[in-house]
Parts: sequence; structure tokens; C-alpha cells
Amino acid sequence: MMKIGIVAILWGLLGTGFAEELSPVPTADEIARKANHMALYQGADSKGKVTMVIKDKQGRIRKREFTMLRRNDDDRDQDQKYYTFFQVPADVCKMVFMVHKHAALEKDDDRWLYMPGLDLVKRIAARDKRTSFVGSDFLYEDISGRSPDEDNHELIEMTDTYYILKNIPKKPDTVEFEYYIAHIDRKSFVPMKMEFFKRGHRLYRVIESVRLEEIQAQENGQKVTYPTVTESLVRNLANGSETKMIFSDIRYNLGLSNKIFTERYLRRPPRDAMR
Amino acid sequence: MQPFKNIITNFSVKHYKLVMLITALFTLITGAFFPWVTLDTDPENMLEQDEPARVFHNETKKQFNLSDIVVLGIINERHPDGVFNPATLQRIHELTEFAKTLRWQAEEHPGQWAGVIEVDMIAPSLVDHISQHGPGTIKFEWLMAHPPETKQEALAIRDKALSNPLLKGQMISEDGKAISIYLPLTDKLLSYRVYMELRKKIETLGGHEAYHITGLPVAEGAIGVEMFTQMGTASPLAMVVIFGLLLLFFRKWVLVVLPTMIAAVSIISSMGLMIAFGFPVHILSSMLPIFLMSIAMVDSVHVLSEFFDVYTKEKGRKQTIQEVLNTLFAPMLYTSLTTAAGFLSLTLAPIPPARVFGIFLSIGVMIAWVVTVMFVPAYIMIIPEQKLKHFGLCAQEKEKQNWLTRALAAIGTLTYTHAKVVLGFLVILVGVAIWGITQIQVNDNYAKRFAPSHPIRKADVALNSHFGGTYTAYLILEGKDRGNPTQPDIQRINQDLLRFSNKIRNDYPGAPSLAVTVGEKLSDIAQKNTTFDGFLDSAMQYVEQIAAGAPDEDYDALQELKTFWGLQKEKRKLFKRPEVLAYMADLQAHLEKAGLIGKSNSVADVVRKVNQELTDGQPENFRIPDKLQSVSECYMQYQQSHRPNDLWHLVTPDYMQANIWMQFPSGDSMNTKAAVKAVEAYFTNHAPPAELDHRWAGLHYINLVLETKLVWGFLKSFAGSFILIFIMVSFLFRSPLWGLLCMLPLTITLLAIYGITGMVGKDYDLPIAVLSALSIGMAVDFAIHFLERSRAAYREKGSWKAVAPQIFGEPARAISRNVLVIAIGFLPLLVASLVPYKTTGIMLFMILSCSGLITLFALPAVLTTAEKWFFKKVRSKNYFFSTVKEREA
Repeated sequence: MMKIGIVAILWGLLGTGFAEELSPVPTADEIARKANHMALYQGADSKGKVTMVIKDKQGRIRKREFTMLRRNDDDRDQDQKYYTFFQVPADVCKMVFMVHKHAALEKDDDRWLYMPGLDLVKRIAARDKRTSFVGSDFLYEDISGRSPDEDNHELIEMTDTYYILKNIPKKPDTVEFEYYIAHIDRKSFVPMKMEFFKRGHRLYRVIESVRLEEIQAQENGQKVTYPTVTESLVRNLANGSETKMIFSDIRYNLGLSNKIFTERYLRRPPRDAMR
Repeated sequence: MQPFKNIITNFSVKHYKLVMLITALFTLITGAFFPWVTLDTDPENMLEQDEPARVFHNETKKQFNLSDIVVLGIINERHPDGVFNPATLQRIHELTEFAKTLRWQAEEHPGQWAGVIEVDMIAPSLVDHISQHGPGTIKFEWLMAHPPETKQEALAIRDKALSNPLLKGQMISEDGKAISIYLPLTDKLLSYRVYMELRKKIETLGGHEAYHITGLPVAEGAIGVEMFTQMGTASPLAMVVIFGLLLLFFRKWVLVVLPTMIAAVSIISSMGLMIAFGFPVHILSSMLPIFLMSIAMVDSVHVLSEFFDVYTKEKGRKQTIQEVLNTLFAPMLYTSLTTAAGFLSLTLAPIPPARVFGIFLSIGVMIAWVVTVMFVPAYIMIIPEQKLKHFGLCAQEKEKQNWLTRALAAIGTLTYTHAKVVLGFLVILVGVAIWGITQIQVNDNYAKRFAPSHPIRKADVALNSHFGGTYTAYLILEGKDRGNPTQPDIQRINQDLLRFSNKIRNDYPGAPSLAVTVGEKLSDIAQKNTTFDGFLDSAMQYVEQIAAGAPDEDYDALQELKTFWGLQKEKRKLFKRPEVLAYMADLQAHLEKAGLIGKSNSVADVVRKVNQELTDGQPENFRIPDKLQSVSECYMQYQQSHRPNDLWHLVTPDYMQANIWMQFPSGDSMNTKAAVKAVEAYFTNHAPPAELDHRWAGLHYINLVLETKLVWGFLKSFAGSFILIFIMVSFLFRSPLWGLLCMLPLTITLLAIYGITGMVGKDYDLPIAVLSALSIGMAVDFAIHFLERSRAAYREKGSWKAVAPQIFGEPARAISRNVLVIAIGFLPLLVASLVPYKTTGIMLFMILSCSGLITLFALPAVLTTAEKWFFKKVRSKNYFFSTVKEREA
């Protein structure tokens, strides 16, 4: 307890830049935790427009456009809420997908779906998170994040730019992969590449961060920048399909109200937030 | 002609060493190409590469990411819960995991893999389950995330699977006794490898379950592989049998090896040439050796037969062989030419491998002829004279009256004394045969190529009794693009737009006036576009353009209008439209109800099932929703699964083409034909709600196309070879009348054999179709020999009465020996387990022995009855083939 306290003080005194050079190599678990934060928890909330382009082996293209809202329940990188509002294709316009994500492993996420055509709100119970997100090559878990606690992490290599982590699931029979290798940017801790392997070291799925942008925002009245992945690409090597996800109009710390993320807002999305 | 044949014989007799050397060299050189042999076991190659049905089939496979599928069925009849008990499901899981590993480095594309396509496999542990999970909650999960441990868990899996109409009858049998695992392959030619691997694995599993592996690729692959191995056993066996027969006839080893050598030369050189010209050995051409085996021997058997009968010690071998060749040169040439022509007629069939088979068979026949006339005299010359001691009919005087000579003499007498009775009998035979032919049904069935005891045949029976069928065909529906919008289209859309804007005016008060603005612009926009989609895109862009500069209060309304245009675009995607899906569902129900198909899956089933679960899970909600948006939501939800790409096997991403995946419980092509007809009728009687094209694809349908092609193709080549051979024999005899007579025995034979085929209910399938064309050239030989000999003798004797007994002496013996050798030579095919080989063996045995017999009955009977008709010219005219005796006389 005492030691941790001293390290914390040193950090404060020396400033982060200096500390980084002196501090010992972080543990694999630390890297994973920080990467998790960078990928999913920056700011108290965020909003962005998403364009998804799904291209199959034959080059046939499908498009999705939606607006995504996210709000953290606290600042401990735990529970979060997601609200996804579809615009394109027009025939699923106004469809809403909402998630209350629970970080605790034993607790399943709560998910809701609003379908305007059928005018139905449905709760979705899913055994696992490794299902396709709206028919794309992204999985539900790629969007809402895979908890670092689900895997054992091992730092297998350190290059000039990346920490390379091997992540082995603690419960192998709940996922279709045997392990995945993550390349995490040493400076920002943003995960830049994830390679998923099946038994026999067979690479079958790759997610890459294609573009990283510094997004300006306000935090407690201070100007801050959040390194944010604005374009990512997932390639399914098993069937030659790939999906590009492009974020635009990203804003952080808008002060999104908690009540947006409730069932009654599914049928009637908050117009301001959608603008 | 005369000098020519003498030149050849004299040359061979004189330079026999040179002839032997050349023959040996030729065989060695052509045989040297054997190591380059390539095999082609793909029956699809029976169709031309650019055959429209094949092109469309391959396009369809690409469009819908379809693969050829191996079906692995597991049946448990012993356990009260069928396969749904923990032990069986554990084994099924183990097999599934094993099947995933059946992938290898692709030979042609290094770095790529080939084998089972894991993402498209269908197995209990690899498919999703959608169900209700309390009120208002829908649950998505793997059907069998892991093998169950208790009876209850196992039964729960059964109930879940049975609740999914997409899986019922496909992956699980309705009685719960069986599960099928579907293994799509990157290449159907890997099916046999997968099949063998699975069988190896199954042996290690234990348990009471029965395992069956089937699917067309397996059947086709197995036929390809087994044909070659069975040819390897049948051909040597045929050689042994023929050799034995020859030994029985001629008693002398040194002479009996001669036909065998000629067969070897002809087989090796024609196969070698085929390989040298770069043709792969196809299933058909794998039969080349066994065909050539007996056919190549025919000529030399004639020579030996005559040599045997004519040889005396005094004459010596040189004079005897010259005499023999003089007698036989022309008939041998003609019989070889007719046989070759018969085979060559296969080139008239629109089937590439049949053409190759036909060409090289005829090359083989002509090689055999050349070798016979050149090599036989040479060979006889190197046999020391004393080795021929006790050879020849004269030397075996005591055996002169054996069963064969007696039987032939009896036929000779009967056909002379009771000619009209014999003819009458034949007329009745023909009548019955024609009736029999009308009973023939055209049908082919891949599984029936295997003997009933073969594992693939058993699998076919077992799985098709439990499931909707293991034979797959695809009915592809395609929407037609109607081109650019017409004025009424624009008016209708404009009205829809105004109506829409009025509907949302409470939320967006600016919408109606904005809609009017957009509406006024529509005609202009339409004029600038050539396609409907382009028009809709431009209209949407126009809305965006207004929105960019619009005040805040109009922004949301314009977003709504933009969605309206987006929706117009979606409405053009046919297979999102409820009425089109309903039409498909009705068509499927119609076919299933009529018993024409075992099961079918389409997007209509997907949408109905998802709609049912999205609403409340009640059976009455297994229906197509009323609105396009609802259909789209069903599609979207279906894709939010572990297998989002399953949808693209049933519809293209532009939703303009859909695939009705049909399963047939029987491989009979006539059932496919009935289904195809029923679909035609359905489209005629029930107008589709939109312009829809329909076409078929899938291996099972390709087989139907192939069968139709083959039947008509071979009928054409049959007619072609009939006419060609008729012209040839007419030329030979300088008389169409004699030509006709010459065709008579084989005509009666073919009528009789195909009549019997019809009467016993054997389907007219591919092997039988091929044989009809092939056999003419062979079967006519006996008649040529018979008539040629008769005419020659007639010129000598001047009356049929005197000729007949003579003809039933040596010539009839030669013919009979030939018939026996060639007919029995095909019988070893019966040891093969593949049905087409057996059929070929039996059919050729019957055709050849019947035509031999009928030659000996019909021709003398006709000649006896119509002696004046036929022989009035023979005496006077200078005969084409003069014999030695004639010239000497």
C-alpha cells in the first residue's frame, strides 16, 4: 500500500512524459487495462456518426449509417450505456439498438431493440457477445468491448511503437478463437491491430485501426484531446469479407442525460442528441 | 485394291523382322507417354464448358457463395430418444470438430487452403437458435454450444432444433432419429478424400449409431475413383478370359498369344496417343482398354480361325497365311472400318469426353487392323514350322464333329427348310420388342450407379428416408429491371411523397411544403437520368442539397424526406417486398404438397421464422409481415447472429435475385424433370406479383440437363452411325439392298435388347444410351462376314441350296468363335461393383451374342426366301472381293 502511494506521488511530481521514460515496463495486465480504457472509456460520454461499409469477397457493397451515443456510468471503466440509432439503409431507419453494458463477468449485458416497422421493443437475451453486429464483420463484442478480465494477458514482444500482447481467453469454450494478438500503441495505449487465431495458429480475423485522430474536447473546463480511432477495418479471412467503420462528428463530454438510455426513448429518439 | 492387299501381305511375309521391329517400336514410343496421364473424374465435364446450363450453374454458385456439399448422416434407431442422447451428441460434436480440420494446402494455389469450408458447415454445434425468453424478450444462442450432459439437456436441443423450420428435415429428421452434418467443400473433387477421412474417423468412434456419407459430390467422386480401380481389375480379367477361350479354340500357345499381343499393341498405342495429345482419361475413356481388348482381337481371330481350318502341313505356313489374308483382307478392312465408324459416330454427341472416347476407340480399331494385316503374317513367319505340328482342322480330324459344328449345321438346315417360320418368329419378336421400347422410361440416378450393398447406395436410402432429401437443386428467381421511370411512375411517387409529408406534418410542420418543392422538380430530375435508381439517387441528392442550406426548423423534415427517397430505392429491391416473398412461399408449399420435393428453404422461410420470434413466437406469426420495413428488420435480425452470411446463400446483397434451395429425396432425374415442369406450370398459372425470371442450377439439375443431352446426343450419334454404316456396307456390296440386309440382324438385335430393357423396367440411363451407339459398329461385323462369304460361295456354286451348308461350315464357325470371344470378353465387367460397368458388360454381351445368333438365323432365312431377289446380280457382276479360289478357278 505504501509503495503504491510513493509511486503515485512520483508520477505527480515528475509529470507523465518523464515518468514514461523512467518507469519500468508496465505489466501485461496494465497494458490491457489501459488499452481497454483508450478504446472505450475516454471522456464521460461521447457521440459520433458511423458509416459502415461491408464488402464481400465479390466486392459487393452494403452500407449502414447510424449515430451512436455512449455514456459511462462512472469513471472506473466499468458499466456503460450505448444507444445506436440507424439511418441507412432507409428501410431500417429509426431502428434503435440499446445496451446497458455490465463490466462484471457474471452479469449479462441488457440489450434492447426497437423495430419501427414492426413497432416493437424487444429485449434481447444473448448467451455470448460474439455475434455479428448488424450483419457486418464486426462482432457485438468489438463494438462494446471485451473486458480485459476475460483473458489472460501476456506481453510477448515490445517493438519501438507497440506492446504486443497475447490474450488467451479464460473460458475457451465461450469463444470461437483460441487466442488473439493485440498491437497496442506504446504512447497512446490505443489498440492498433488485433489478430484472432483459431486452433493450430490459424489467423482468421484481423481488426486494424486505420486512422487515429486527436479529438478536441472539454474536461472539467479544461481543453483536452482524446486520441480516437476514426477508421477501423475488420477483415474476415475465412470468407473474404471485410467491413470498414468510419466515425465522424465525434464529440466528447456533451453531458448526455442518463434518461436517454431508457426504454421510453427507444421509440422517440432525443432529437437534439441526434442532430 | 487387289494389288494393294497383295503388296502388304507379301511385304510382311518377306520383311517380317522389320515389321516386328516397327510394331515393337511404335508400341514403345506411344506407351512412353503413359507417365503423363491425367485423370478427369468430374462428370460435369460431360457438358461443354460454355453449355448455358453449366455456365449459369457456376454463376449461381458464385452469386450465392454456394459450394458442393458432402452430407454426413448419423442415425440412432436403438436409443428411444434417437440421436438426442448425450453419448450420440458427444460423438456428433467430435465428428464436427474433426470435420473442421479437413483442410489442406491447395495444390494449385500455394498458400491457399482447400477442403471443408468451416464457416458454412451445418452442424448442431454450429447453428444458431432463436427463441422466446420470457415476455418481450428474444434469445439468440448456439443451438448446441457444447455437448449436453443429461438426458434433459439433450432433449432440449432436439426441441429447439425441431422448432426451426429451416433445420427440420434438413439438419435434423422430424422423428429425431437422425442428424445430418453438411460439409461444403471448396472443390467437389476433394469429396472422395473427405469421404475417406470421415470413414476412418468414424471407425474410431464406437457406439450404436449408423453413419452414412452421401451427397452428389461424394457419389460422383466415388464413381470417378472406383471406375479406375475397377477397370484395373476388369481389364486383366477380360484378357485372361479371352485368352482361355482362344486356347480352347486353337490349342496352340504360340498362336493364341498373337491376338493378345495385337490387343496390347492397340490398347497401349491408342491410350498413349490419347495421353500424348493431352486428353485426360475420363470416366468414359477408362473403358477404352476393355473395349479394345476384344475388338482388337476380332480380326486376328478371323485370321487364326481361317488359318486353323485351312492349314495343312503340305501347304506350309507361308502359302496358308497368304491364302488366308487374301480371303479375309477386304472383309476385315470393312468390318474394321464399320466398327471404327460406329465409334466415330460418338463425335456427333454433344459430349466432349464421348468424342474423345469415340475418336481414340476408332484409332485403336484401325491400329488393330493394320497390326493384324502386317504383324500377323510376320509373326507366323517366325514360328518354326514344326511348332505347328498337329495344328489345324485336318490334324484334328476326330474333333471335326464337335458341339459347335453340329449346332451350326443344325441352324443351317433349319433356316433352309423352315425359312418362313424363322422369319415369322423374327417378325413377332420385332413386334414385341417395339412394344417394349415404348415402355422405356428415360431416367438416371447417380446413387443407382452403385450396387445396393455399396455404402453410398445404402447411405442414399437411409438418409433420404429420414430427411427432406440429400439431392440439391436451386431455383433462382431474378427480378427484371424495368429501366427509367415513366410519367405515371413519377406521378405515383409524387403522390406518395405528398401523402407521406402530410402524415408527418404533426411532427414536422414544414414537410408538406418542402415535399411540394421537391415534387415540382421530379420531371426535370427524371429527364436527366437513364435508370430508375439514378432517378431516385438524384432526387435524394436534391433533398440533401436543400437540407445543406436549410434553416434548422426544416432540417429534420428534410431528413424525413430523404428517408422517403431511400425507402423508394429499397422498394425496388424485389426480395424485400412482402408480396414477392409470399409468392415464393406459395410456390414452395405447392411443390412440397405435390410431393415433388422433400424440402425447400428460401428467404421466405427465414423472414417468416424471424418474424415469428420477433413478435411473440406463436405459430400464427410464422408469416411474411405486411410491410417492407418489417421484412428488412427481419433480415437485419437474422444477420445479427453467429452466421450473418448464411443469408447470402439465399438472396444476393442487392435483393434482386433469390435462391430457393430445394432438396430432393431421390436421385431419379425424372423426379427433377417433374419438378421443373411443375414450376413452369406454376409460373404460367399464377402470375408473379413482379416481373420474375426463373432458372435452375445445382448439381442435381445439371444431371438432368446432362441426361437430356446424353439421351438425345447418343440417339443422334446412333442414327448417324446407323446411316454411315448402312452407306458403307451398301458400297461394300455395291447394293443398297444387300446393305439393308446386312443391317437387319443388328436392327432386330437392338430392337430386341432395348425392348427387353423397356419390359423389365430398367431405366434408359447414361450407360445404356452410350451403348446403343457403340454397339452398331461391332454388331454389324458378323453380318458383313456372313454375307461376304455367302456371295463369294454363291458365285462358285450358283445356288443357295448348295451354298448354305458350306456357309455353316468354316465361315459360320469363324463367326461363332468371334461372337463368343467378343461377347464373353465383356463379361468380366460383371465383377465390377459399379452398376454402369455391369450394365455395359451385360448389354454388350447380349447385343453381341444376339446379333451373332440373329445373323445366323435371319440372314440365311431371308436369303432362302428371297434368293432370286438378292442373287440375280451376284452371278453376273464382277464381284468386288474375289477370292484366291475364285481366281484360281
